[in-house]
Amino acid sequence: MMELCSNKLPTPMSRREMLKTSGIGFGGVALNALLSQDSIALRQPPNLARTKRVIFLFMHGGPSTLDLFDPKDALYKNNGKPLPYDKPRIVSSKTGNLLASPWKFKQHGQSGASVSELLPNIASISDDLCFINSMHCSNSRHGGALLELHTGSDTFTRPAMGSWINYGLGSENNNLPGFITINPPSSHGGSGAWSSAFLPAKYGGTMISGKGSNMNIPFIKSPLKERSQQRKEIDLINAFNKNHISNFEGNTELESRIESYELAFRMQMAAPEIQNIEDEPDHINKLYGADQKPTDEFAKQCIMARRFSEAGVRFVQVTHRYWDSHGNLKDEHTKLSKEMDKPVAGLIQDLKQRGLLDETLVLWGGEFGRTPVAQGNNGRDHNPHGFTMFMAGGGIKPGTKYGSTDSFGYHAEENPVHFHDLHATILHLMGIDHTALTYKYAGRDFRLTDVHGNIISDIII
Amino acid sequence: MCSAILDVLRHRKQDIDIILLTLKKLSLLFLSILFVSLISRGDEEKSDLWSLVYPEEPTIPKVTNEKWVKNSVDSFILKKIEDQKLEPTQSAKKDKLVRRAYLDLLGVPPTLDEVKSFHEDKSPTAWGKLIEQLLSSPRYGERWGRHWLDVARYSDTNGMDENIAHPEAHRYRDYVIKSFNQDKPFNQFIIEQLAGDLLPAENLEKKRDQTIATGFLSVGPKMLACDDPDKMRRDIVDEQLDTTGRAFMGMTFGCARCHDHKFDPISIEDYYGLAGIFMSTKTLTKYSVVAELHHFDMSTEEEKEKRKQISNIEKKKSEKGVSEENKKKFEEEISILKKNLNTPFEIMAVTEYPTKDLRVHLRGDYQTLGDTVPRRLPTALAGLIQPQMPSSQSGRIELARWIASDRNPLTARVIVNRIWRWHFGRGIVPTTDNYGELGEKPTHPELLDHLALYFIHSNWSIKSLHRLIMQSKTYQQSAFAKESLKKSDPDNTLFARWKIRRLESESLRDSILSKSNLLDFNGGGSMMDAKKHKYANRGKLKEHIKSNKRTIYLPVMRSSGYEGQNAFDFPDPSMINGNRNSSTVTPQALFLMNSDLIHRSSKALADLIFSKMPDEAIDEKAKWLISHLLSREAHNKEINTAVSFIKSSAEKDEKAAWSGLARGLLASNEFLYIE
Repeated sequence: MMELCSNKLPTPMSRREMLKTSGIGFGGVALNALLSQDSIALRQPPNLARTKRVIFLFMHGGPSTLDLFDPKDALYKNNGKPLPYDKPRIVSSKTGNLLASPWKFKQHGQSGASVSELLPNIASISDDLCFINSMHCSNSRHGGALLELHTGSDTFTRPAMGSWINYGLGSENNNLPGFITINPPSSHGGSGAWSSAFLPAKYGGTMISGKGSNMNIPFIKSPLKERSQQRKEIDLINAFNKNHISNFEGNTELESRIESYELAFRMQMAAPEIQNIEDEPDHINKLYGADQKPTDEFAKQCIMARRFSEAGVRFVQVTHRYWDSHGNLKDEHTKLSKEMDKPVAGLIQDLKQRGLLDETLVLWGGEFGRTPVAQGNNGRDHNPHGFTMFMAGGGIKPGTKYGSTDSFGYHAEENPVHFHDLHATILHLMGIDHTALTYKYAGRDFRLTDVHGNIISDIII
Repeated sequence: MCSAILDVLRHRKQDIDIILLTLKKLSLLFLSILFVSLISRGDEEKSDLWSLVYPEEPTIPKVTNEKWVKNSVDSFILKKIEDQKLEPTQSAKKDKLVRRAYLDLLGVPPTLDEVKSFHEDKSPTAWGKLIEQLLSSPRYGERWGRHWLDVARYSDTNGMDENIAHPEAHRYRDYVIKSFNQDKPFNQFIIEQLAGDLLPAENLEKKRDQTIATGFLSVGPKMLACDDPDKMRRDIVDEQLDTTGRAFMGMTFGCARCHDHKFDPISIEDYYGLAGIFMSTKTLTKYSVVAELHHFDMSTEEEKEKRKQISNIEKKKSEKGVSEENKKKFEEEISILKKNLNTPFEIMAVTEYPTKDLRVHLRGDYQTLGDTVPRRLPTALAGLIQPQMPSSQSGRIELARWIASDRNPLTARVIVNRIWRWHFGRGIVPTTDNYGELGEKPTHPELLDHLALYFIHSNWSIKSLHRLIMQSKTYQQSAFAKESLKKSDPDNTLFARWKIRRLESESLRDSILSKSNLLDFNGGGSMMDAKKHKYANRGKLKEHIKSNKRTIYLPVMRSSGYEGQNAFDFPDPSMINGNRNSSTVTPQALFLMNSDLIHRSSKALADLIFSKMPDEAIDEKAKWLISHLLSREAHNKEINTAVSFIKSSAEKDEKAAWSGLARGLLASNEFLYIE
């Protein structure tokens, strides 16, 4: 509680203050309020929120967005010829001459968005999407770029954007964690991509791993056969605690620990219900591709993401991997696109038909893109200088395109968008001023965007 | 075309930087003239920052309630309480006090016998004897060494972008535990961690220990896959420099990498003066992707020689045309040499590099360089008279000696405050790692200075400081407080009562295992199954956590970690943390209800009851279990609650019902808190 009070957040109400002002002690306060102890969930967002929740579809490895969303005539024309300007000073691997995309592009929908033949389903909903073709970051390696994308820093350990959002807004559903990441990469930063770093631990992401219905929140399953037995055990803990707390009346920490068992007990009921993706109707399974290979696995994760998001989890991340095609680009990207295309399009359509897309921001993208120059004869190297991400829903203008790369697709040229700008925009959409959401640590106020970040107002409704 | 414009812009930027630098120099010149003229006028110029003024021995304040005072600590504490027209709370009961001492110093609760023997000792020296007994236990270093590891951001893996294993880091951890157990003077402990490799040593064992100590500089988190090796090196230096500053002096040097510190008197020149010292230190041996940490063999000369011979013979053996007979002969020779030959004594630590003075990196960019700054200490802290930096050595030893000096205004204050924080859950300076302008000011500045000077005069002995603190009445107060006190001082900034606080994640696990008779006190060495420069296998975490060793001996893995430990606020091992958070979150409840640890321990406890007292009545069993777990007598009301729980259990098996009772007690606040 201390660390929050000492931080510059507009009038956070400490639990103690709250109990004081509400004039009632333990037992009289709504559970809701008790549980949001030392979070700032009680506050209304300082400016108008356009979205309540984020679903981040993370494409680990760095998809070649040149081959998915950013066709370049010059590449087709100059296939096999040298790049007419210098390659960047810092590169990750040796590359050769220009390599045209092996795939055909068509324009889709009313917006006329260019989408590769690899992604027919995403192409079909392109009028709902906003493509940012001018993304860039600074690190040419997976670990660095991944951490930059998730935390804003490729140099030091910093809280993940989901943790910042959780810290800023608190939870919508007290029976569930506020930040969940499904099957995240264990390499290239690992939990660094969902950690709370110097923020209090409760704001960190909860990792769920496993397959299908075995994806679980840690320790959520009771080894006891009888649910009634666990209820009895909690009653027993309560009896001992009530006896103990009589010496410490008003100690809010001890009080909320008593409550936390009740909450855990309820969470045990709520979570499996949400995680039970088996009860989705056939048409939904079909929509995501959960009913067939090779889409089923990622589809199930996307369905689970929707269910968590629907239940009020602020930030849900799903990871699809592994897009790192240094060689064998044709086969790998064909396979990966097939696995990913339908579930992603299905998720966005599903959110839309449920009326949730307006309040849910969907973000799709990897830690970087890939070079227009070839590595070997059928591969591309990492390219942090220019690539595409797309967003949908939650206050984003649908059917739009923002920024562009140069004529070969190497560098962001028109309206470049750095990860810091992306972060600033996401926070803005959630109703948070990215310059005001700070946390004091090691002698200074830190924020997700450090000293950077411009909101991309052109893509906001 | 594009790049031409960029070049022009870059040059322009350089020009601007140079202009800015010149302006800055001019203003510095102006300020120094002003400063000198002030001094020559006889005005004494003191730093505005309280922490940079050398502590003076304060007079011990007079208090009204003299009877309450047991030692000097109490006078300072009571004075503030009386100033607020308040009274300190009552003394803690003996059973609370003995449990507090065990958990605080050893990290495990006392056994019933240990509680009993303290109870029965009615002599006035009973408490002092208990403190001595606990301070001499090997368990002490495992508890307090872990506190230091929080500050040293200790980890058995690199984390960050490439989670490379640190298979030799455990040597540093064990060195820390040993140093606390030996009560190594803290100034020596500092010097060894920063420059132990440069100190003289009378024998190999000492040489090894001192060199292992510099693992402090090696175990930090590093970006190891960076296509720009020059940037990577500077980032590593920055991490070492910032950690050193904050760990020992509460100073955030890292802020001055790109510009003069905005709040504290640390200039960008100070930063590069220090950075040169670490740039002249060898931490890595390979900078290309994936970079490799410096490891080396510290075997005896004899062992090294034997290994050389073995490899020579092996070479001969593998040559073409060697007869079977000779091969056999070679094998025999090898087996003789290998007899009693230890595996190489690999360590991960730093050594020296050719020395290098750095140029100022304008805005932190190594491609935009300003003037060269010779390696030196920060002037606002160390003064203008500086130790001579050797041309043939990095200067680490000079830096270390200055940090560890009796005359450094920060170092002793920082460590005594850390010790105070770890005893009481709150520092006299609440921001334990920041003594700069943005840190919080001490609530009891005179007490802090008194403790710092006491510490220096007791030869930087941490155990002496424990004695002073624990012998005080302040430490021995009850956690109970009257309404008036709670109202006037809700956060206990006056230390007018004991702050009840949750066990840290390690103590919690160790306490559960110890009460279940499962705790394996054999520790030390490595549980990591990994090779240097290779990726850590986080799959092994599941195996490690099943071990019954004390938690400090389980490998710490950055970018993952044990879910249960993390839920109980185990701090991110990438960052120094002298002031752990203590949260109350639902995953803790889930852990205490459903984890493997809690279920196997409660089962072991049920087995223990039935082997210990198979024929006793339910209430006798319950009585024993309650007092065993809570380290005190059981009350009748509690026994009744327990008995009716057992009787109404939904479990068919009676033993399972007892496991349930054990779980309930282990999850109760009284077990989870140091009271």
